[in-house]
Amino acid sequence: MSKKIFLFPFLVFSLILFIFFYLLLIERDPSDIPSNLIDKSIPQFKSKSLIKDSEYVSQENFKNKITLVNFFASWCKPCRDEHKYIQLLANNKNIQVIGINYKDNRKKATGWLNEVGNPYLYIATDKRGSIAIDWGVYGIPETFIVNSQGIIKYRHVGPITKKIYKKINFILNETK
Amino acid sequence: MIPFLGNINLWLLLFFAILQLVNSLKKNNASVIKLNRIAVNGLFFCSSLSFFSLIYSHIVSDFSLINVFQNSHTTKPLFYKISGVWGNHEGSMLLWILVLTIFNYFIFKLYNKTNSKFITKTLETQSLIIIGFVLFTIFTSNPFEKMITLESNGLGFNPILQDPALAIHPPLLYIGYVGFSAAFSLSIAALSLKNNETIFWYNYMKPVVAAAWTFLTIGIAFGSIWAYYELGWGGWWFWDPVENASFMPWLLGTALLHSLIAVEKKKSLQLWVLLLSILAFLLSVVGTFLVRSGILTSVHTFALDPSRGIYILIFTALLGGYSLFLFSINSKKYLNTNYVAFFSKEGAILINNILMVIVCASVFLGTIYPLLIEAITNNKISVGEPYYNSAVIPIIIPAILVMGIGPILSWGGNKKLETFKKIIPSILITAIFSILVFLYYKSYSIIGVIGIVLAFWIITNNIIIIYKNKKKFIKSMIVAHLGVGILILGITGSSVWQKEKIIKMKIGNEVKIENYTITLKEINEIKGKNYLALQGNFFIFDEKKNLIKKLKPENRYYPITNNFTTEASIHTNLLRDVYIVLGEGNINDGWVVRIYLNPLVVWIWIGAFTIFLGGIFSTNINLRKIKKLQ
Repeated sequence: MSKKIFLFPFLVFSLILFIFFYLLLIERDPSDIPSNLIDKSIPQFKSKSLIKDSEYVSQENFKNKITLVNFFASWCKPCRDEHKYIQLLANNKNIQVIGINYKDNRKKATGWLNEVGNPYLYIATDKRGSIAIDWGVYGIPETFIVNSQGIIKYRHVGPITKKIYKKINFILNETK
Repeated sequence: MIPFLGNINLWLLLFFAILQLVNSLKKNNASVIKLNRIAVNGLFFCSSLSFFSLIYSHIVSDFSLINVFQNSHTTKPLFYKISGVWGNHEGSMLLWILVLTIFNYFIFKLYNKTNSKFITKTLETQSLIIIGFVLFTIFTSNPFEKMITLESNGLGFNPILQDPALAIHPPLLYIGYVGFSAAFSLSIAALSLKNNETIFWYNYMKPVVAAAWTFLTIGIAFGSIWAYYELGWGGWWFWDPVENASFMPWLLGTALLHSLIAVEKKKSLQLWVLLLSILAFLLSVVGTFLVRSGILTSVHTFALDPSRGIYILIFTALLGGYSLFLFSINSKKYLNTNYVAFFSKEGAILINNILMVIVCASVFLGTIYPLLIEAITNNKISVGEPYYNSAVIPIIIPAILVMGIGPILSWGGNKKLETFKKIIPSILITAIFSILVFLYYKSYSIIGVIGIVLAFWIITNNIIIIYKNKKKFIKSMIVAHLGVGILILGITGSSVWQKEKIIKMKIGNEVKIENYTITLKEINEIKGKNYLALQGNFFIFDEKKNLIKKLKPENRYYPITNNFTTEASIHTNLLRDVYIVLGEGNINDGWVVRIYLNPLVVWIWIGAFTIFLGGIFSTNINLRKIKKLQ
């Protein structure tokens, strides 16, 4: 066996450490990343509604209104954290909030919403994560702003914090 | 006065650790042992004094210390005043150091006529680790730091930490983590041995690893018990980064414990064991880094300070860089070409090892994946249960199948047909019991079937071994393996057949869950020692309308820290738990009530405790073995 193979653990370890150092030293300021979908139309989808099994949710529900699309799940802790901001955003009369329930259990999701309140106008179920793939979702939570023409204007990866909430409000005012 | 004593002792710890380091680097052996005796005793004495000074300060509520001010309060019950010492970051580091010096003392006790160089080298590495942790404590997390202002009362203690299971969870866990530091040092010493020296280093490593693994097991179990009873989310494992940080060293520890047996019996896998023991401790330290640096968020609330993260990371870099580099240049002498026969005990152990390492790597990937994404894209995401379930379960299943056969295989090689004949009875019994369980629960999910079959597979195989060999079986292994079987039973039952109801209930309302009818009779306001609470009184009736139990979940408010907690109320029997949590609400609209029916949960705790017992037997046997070496 070549002696070089014994260096392998050392090299892997160094690589991981390098990433950690980088993370600690950079200014970790979560901001929006350019998505390939920005300024493009929303990907088409159609799936069963979480609340009523007999109904469907699709891009037709956007109905020429400014729409906030939020990917969430009951197992996702950051989703709990951002929930109060989603509720605040849902109070905005100019927009509608559509939720996409990602890889979740129907009972758990509805139970969770009963407990904390349901800010979503419609909720589509995405049991296999295929809608998330079409939308290019990295992981949940993720939030998109779609304008009245069905064009994606903004995308945020991760939970909505106070700062992001302000930013989203700002963008919503600009969007038509 | 007492805090001053504690602080002085921290500095004395540094002095003795440096003494041990400098002394261990010397060549002359006779004086090395003499001086090391002083250093080792000094370290143990000073860390105990320092630790007890902090306990004293917490008991008398000495609010001149920032640590006491931030984490304690005069109204706190005495028991939690004491457990509060290690319920915060600074105090827990002090406990960590105390355990380090205890293991250091134990290693010193291993000195005999033939191994002095080896033990000295081990103590040298231990002293480096101690220096690292003491410096960290003194400069970034000193629990004896003074307040500038004088306060009459403290800020109080995070109430969710006010729980008996959580009081003993950290000490047990630290024995585990720190035990791996001793295995790490032994591994470094083995790698530094000259070619002509023969020390049976693995004999020294075995009791240390057995103890570390055993306490890590029970420590994790108590963490789960706490999560189950205190968090009120109805579950006992959440794939939280901090849980993963303890689970990863546990997985490697499991692999290590088993491969050490192969090293002892067949002298194979030595290289692998050396690498595993290095990685197990590095993962323990990386776990600490992830938790204490604030780089990941979790339910574990430690005060965050970026300078701590940088420090632990540099420390990890030095430890890991040094040990893995040493491994890369020195490990070749432990390479042997005795290839392992596949269908044999060592073959089974090797499969177990490979699978454990894969599980560990999957969990590691899931834990740091959000960090990787953040490093690349600057964004935060969450990796949750679906990932871990789909990554871990398929690898664990073959590991458990092998675990059933491993103990009946012999070393070197086996005939397949004979082995098959041996396992026919256990296959039959497993089938019968599994069918009985399904007739009772009437639920047929695939994961459920697999879990139950595996559980009975392990349990029957081990019972058959006991039956066939009467007194000659290896007690530690059989007990620990039985524990795993029981554990799987509990895990499967509680995760596959869990029933959940979240509803709004007013007084007098009734709800049905499975065969039970639950009525909310009344809601009372009660007053605890440092909290106010709303207490629901729920009557649980069975099918025949017999009252089984009154459950009283609480929704507590702690005025001092201004937060709410929920106290789940649980009725446990051997078949299921009825678990009720009282949420928000008022008299007019009703209260949000969460009711869970968790089957077989109690078997998780019984299983974990049985594994712990097996681990204790194993530690004991291996300690006796090295006593014979002395």
